Amino acid sequence: MTGRQDPLWRAVLLLGVSWRRVVLAVLAGAGGLGSAVALAAVSAWLIARASQMPPVMELSIAAVAVRTFGISRGLLRYVERLVSHDVALRGMATLREQIYRRLAVGRTEPVMALRRGDLLARVGADVDAVGDVVVRGLLPAAVAAVVSLGSVVLLGVFLPTAGLALAGCLVLAGVVAPWWSVRAARTTERLTAHARVEMSAVTLALLDGAGELTVQGRTPDLRRELARVEADLARATDTGARPAALAAAAGPLATGLAVLAALALAVPATTQGLLTPVELAVVVLTPLAAFEAVSLMPAAGVQVLRSRQAARRIMSLLDEVAQEPTATQPAPMPPAAPGRGLVVRGLACGWPGQEPLLTGLDLDLSTGRTVAVVGPSGAGKTTLLLTLAGLLPAVGGTLTLDGDPPADLPREVAASRVAMTAEDAHVFDTTILENLRVGRGDVTPDEALDALTSVGLGRWLAGLPQGLGTVLGADAARISGGERRRLLLARALLCPAPLLLVDEPTEHLDTGGEAVLRSLLDRTLTPDRGVLVVTHRLAGLEGADEVILLDRTGTVRARGRHSELVARDHDGVAPYRDAWLAEVQES
Amino acid sequence: MRPLDPRLLRRARAARRYVLLTAGLGAATAGLVVAQALLLAAALAPVVTGVSRWPDVAPTVGLLALVIGARVLVTAVQERYAHRAATRTIAELRAQVVGHAVGLGPRWISGNGPTVATLATRGLDALEPYFVRYLPQLLLAVTVTPAALAVVLGLDWVAAVTIAVTIPLVPVFMVLVGLLTQGHASRRLEVMQRLGHQVLDLVAGLPTLRALGRERGPADRVRALGEAHRSATMGTLRIAFLSGMVLELLTTLSVALVAVGVGFRLVYGHLDLTTALAVLVLAPEVYLPLRQVGAHFHASADGVAAAQQTFDVLEQPLPVRGTISAPDLRSSTVRVRDLGVDAPDRDALAPAGLDLDLLPGTVTALVGPNGAGKSTALGVLLGLIPLGDRDTGTVQVLPAGDALDTPAIDLADVDPGTWWEQIAWVPQRPVLTPGTIEDLVTAGRRTDRRELGRVAELTGLAEVVAALPLGWGTAVGQGGAGLSLGQRQRVALSRALLGDAQLVVLDEPSAHLGSDGDATVRQVIEAAREGGRTVLVVTHRASLRQAADAVVAVAGRPRTSTTGPPHDGGAW
Repeated sequence: MTGRQDPLWRAVLLLGVSWRRVVLAVLAGAGGLGSAVALAAVSAWLIARASQMPPVMELSIAAVAVRTFGISRGLLRYVERLVSHDVALRGMATLREQIYRRLAVGRTEPVMALRRGDLLARVGADVDAVGDVVVRGLLPAAVAAVVSLGSVVLLGVFLPTAGLALAGCLVLAGVVAPWWSVRAARTTERLTAHARVEMSAVTLALLDGAGELTVQGRTPDLRRELARVEADLARATDTGARPAALAAAAGPLATGLAVLAALALAVPATTQGLLTPVELAVVVLTPLAAFEAVSLMPAAGVQVLRSRQAARRIMSLLDEVAQEPTATQPAPMPPAAPGRGLVVRGLACGWPGQEPLLTGLDLDLSTGRTVAVVGPSGAGKTTLLLTLAGLLPAVGGTLTLDGDPPADLPREVAASRVAMTAEDAHVFDTTILENLRVGRGDVTPDEALDALTSVGLGRWLAGLPQGLGTVLGADAARISGGERRRLLLARALLCPAPLLLVDEPTEHLDTGGEAVLRSLLDRTLTPDRGVLVVTHRLAGLEGADEVILLDRTGTVRARGRHSELVARDHDGVAPYRDAWLAEVQES
Repeated sequence: MRPLDPRLLRRARAARRYVLLTAGLGAATAGLVVAQALLLAAALAPVVTGVSRWPDVAPTVGLLALVIGARVLVTAVQERYAHRAATRTIAELRAQVVGHAVGLGPRWISGNGPTVATLATRGLDALEPYFVRYLPQLLLAVTVTPAALAVVLGLDWVAAVTIAVTIPLVPVFMVLVGLLTQGHASRRLEVMQRLGHQVLDLVAGLPTLRALGRERGPADRVRALGEAHRSATMGTLRIAFLSGMVLELLTTLSVALVAVGVGFRLVYGHLDLTTALAVLVLAPEVYLPLRQVGAHFHASADGVAAAQQTFDVLEQPLPVRGTISAPDLRSSTVRVRDLGVDAPDRDALAPAGLDLDLLPGTVTALVGPNGAGKSTALGVLLGLIPLGDRDTGTVQVLPAGDALDTPAIDLADVDPGTWWEQIAWVPQRPVLTPGTIEDLVTAGRRTDRRELGRVAELTGLAEVVAALPLGWGTAVGQGGAGLSLGQRQRVALSRALLGDAQLVVLDEPSAHLGSDGDATVRQVIEAAREGGRTVLVVTHRASLRQAADAVVAVAGRPRTSTTGPPHDGGAW
């Protein structure tokens, strides 16, 4: 499949729809709207024939048919809506699973780089939009085509020219009008996009800065600015409303033209004896009902436009994940310093395509050793962890895990040797036990209890009526920030990997948190593991074999044991001691 | 939910005009629909009965063409102005709701901010389908439907009765179906949302699963949850679509019954063909607006709900403002006694029992742990947080002179405009308004370049400006370059120093300034002190504490319940 292909079509193919169900939905839809056309045609016949006062028996079949079509329309529409929604929902479930599977095995950076909200939007709203195109775009188009064809054939049988005229009018309402509609939507969107961003920014500035702006008397300025942006928005909408008005008027225009054409063609034909008077009524009145199906087409066109944008976002994420990482890979790493555990020499790390955040780092992490990396936010600590875990390729220098670059190892192999817990690691909306089993699948309740107790959550757990079966709620809403961090730490401890990388384990922790960090670093919690902790605070680092202090630019400013660093004065500069003193004074 | 909220018409001028226009166009449409049906029947019937030929009916067809042309025009005008009215109404309501929220103050916004922000930036947009689709059909339902029905009554009362009987059945059946299925539907909806959420939860956790090498297992779970979600949703839809089916069934069936009835009356000679054809064409037109209202009901519900929320905000009463002109702070003291502010989400007072005197020309530091209420205390002093029933204490301004004979003025009675003129406030997250950096710092005042340079040097802004290609002329704010939090603080500090406000209020000024932050803020404080200004600074830093003439500790306190002992001794 080439990248030039329509993303919407590619996404629709990923829905894996069952063509049998699609045909069923189109048949039911065409039957429903076709009933309306048939109702109009048969009633016209009934009334025209009735005016000739035939025996009543002759009308009874038509009368039954009219009532039947009156009922079948509603019923078949109901069936169509159910089947088409079922098709779309099945497709959406399949597409979500496809996205999950591809994101799970593909390259890691695109997934890691995506903000949580964006990831959810791809899988949530964007997949919905692709599903909607089935219900609101493709199926209605198919139904409209079938019903229109049927109406044209019906009229054509009586009077071919009338059939042709109806076909022309249906094209006006079903193809030209949607084209204008899509143009209107596209114009409006293009013209308003910028003004919308500005409008949100001004609105949020007014709300977020309400106090400050009020005190400084700057509110009127910003409200004027909002009015200016709104005027831009209104101008842009007006421009888009012009083609929208044309599109809306095309519907009644096409219906009217079809009726006028039928009259102008069929009345002389009747006089000439080409058409019976009863057929004349059918030819003139049927077009009134024939436009209902195509009247949905403008909305369908706009839906296709919107869904295509959603599909483009989904497909570009999937393409990015599937891409071979050749372009971003630096020169092959020299096979320097192979050894047990993580061996790092002159490492530079950062996001692909951006300036490295952290440079020139040397580090060794093997079982039985603990290291703490300290630095202010922005020093690249989280990026370092992602790189060490093999989730981001190194930008420069060498990095080996038991002799191989971790980013080159199969994901399961790398993860079985080094497990990383990110600061924003996800707590799933399930039980405490299941959340711990994310670390290792076969954690027993007893092991879970031990792990939770060791991170200081024993009393908390004892206070929960459901114990390990307590459901934690969406985004861990039912637990505090400190409990969440401890839970993540317990999960990390349960991982089978010999090397643990932990991001900010004590953020949001109360005073007891320092004790947890201390026991993590002095090996009481993890006697036979290698542990690397990154943090922005210096408290609790006494037990680490090595502390590495980074500055804001991602360069190493000092390294050694905590006790040495606090004592050491290097050429009159003691960055670590200064930071330590500042922190002690704080508390 | 009301289909057309009178408050919408009262609050939004654009909506008023639009409803008038749409009502007028609806009346015109009613006339045109009736004319079209009568002309069509008049052109067709004599040819069917063999009385007339094309030249006889051609003038009628010409008239019909004119009527059709007019309908096309009406539709175009309606659509053209619907979008216009929607945009303008949304803009009017947005300006009102944001303005009102600002007037209600930061304390109200901190409780309702996210809701109002979503409402103003996105929620109100849902009014567009309401204006463009729903409202026109609603007005057609009160113009075309009765007009067409009245004409049918004049033509053939039996058909009119058939229609008149079924019309009330439409809402009755829809309400019945709604009532019967409501409990079932809401239960289903809950299951559906939960399953949908669980799928998204797994995807949101994908980075975590990958970090631990556990990403493969849940794929099957994603599939199973998706399948469960589908079947739950289909269960809901089977019921939700019932009301739509009832609507279509009733309207189509009654059109069919009218057609059959008219047909049989024709056979017996009770009707003539022209009348019968007119009734046949008009019958569906009676129902069409009703069906459209039903079809667009859901699309418009969000818009109506957003308008409702907007009116709820607008109906919140604004705080009463004082009217006394503020005394000159160069000589007045601000006195706070036993200030306690309710923190409703924690059932506590934060701050609690705060005493504070701001003497002219002195530097006061407010210190205390997170959540003690330091920023809240600032909000009260700034006059942004009015004290309510659940708060305690007083904030007074003591004008110059002997404190015994000049009366103290309650801050609540002071005209806030005259109070704010004398205050320069640097909040934790200063807001950028559009303009150049120079505009932001000078706040539009004419300023000496040398003075500007000196202040910028002091706050570290000079370094920031020097690194920008356009320097002082760099545009920031909406559409301009973004500045980091620290850079924004430097801008705000510079503005505070450059202005002539007597009271300088700094909230955690060194929090985002990096390693030299404390030194910078000390310089700013010293410069303000030299200028004879009064400084109030909230800080964690020991070095800033040392720079202050007075240090005031702020602490919160849980509300003591009647049964339990006080949480901690505190002042009791």
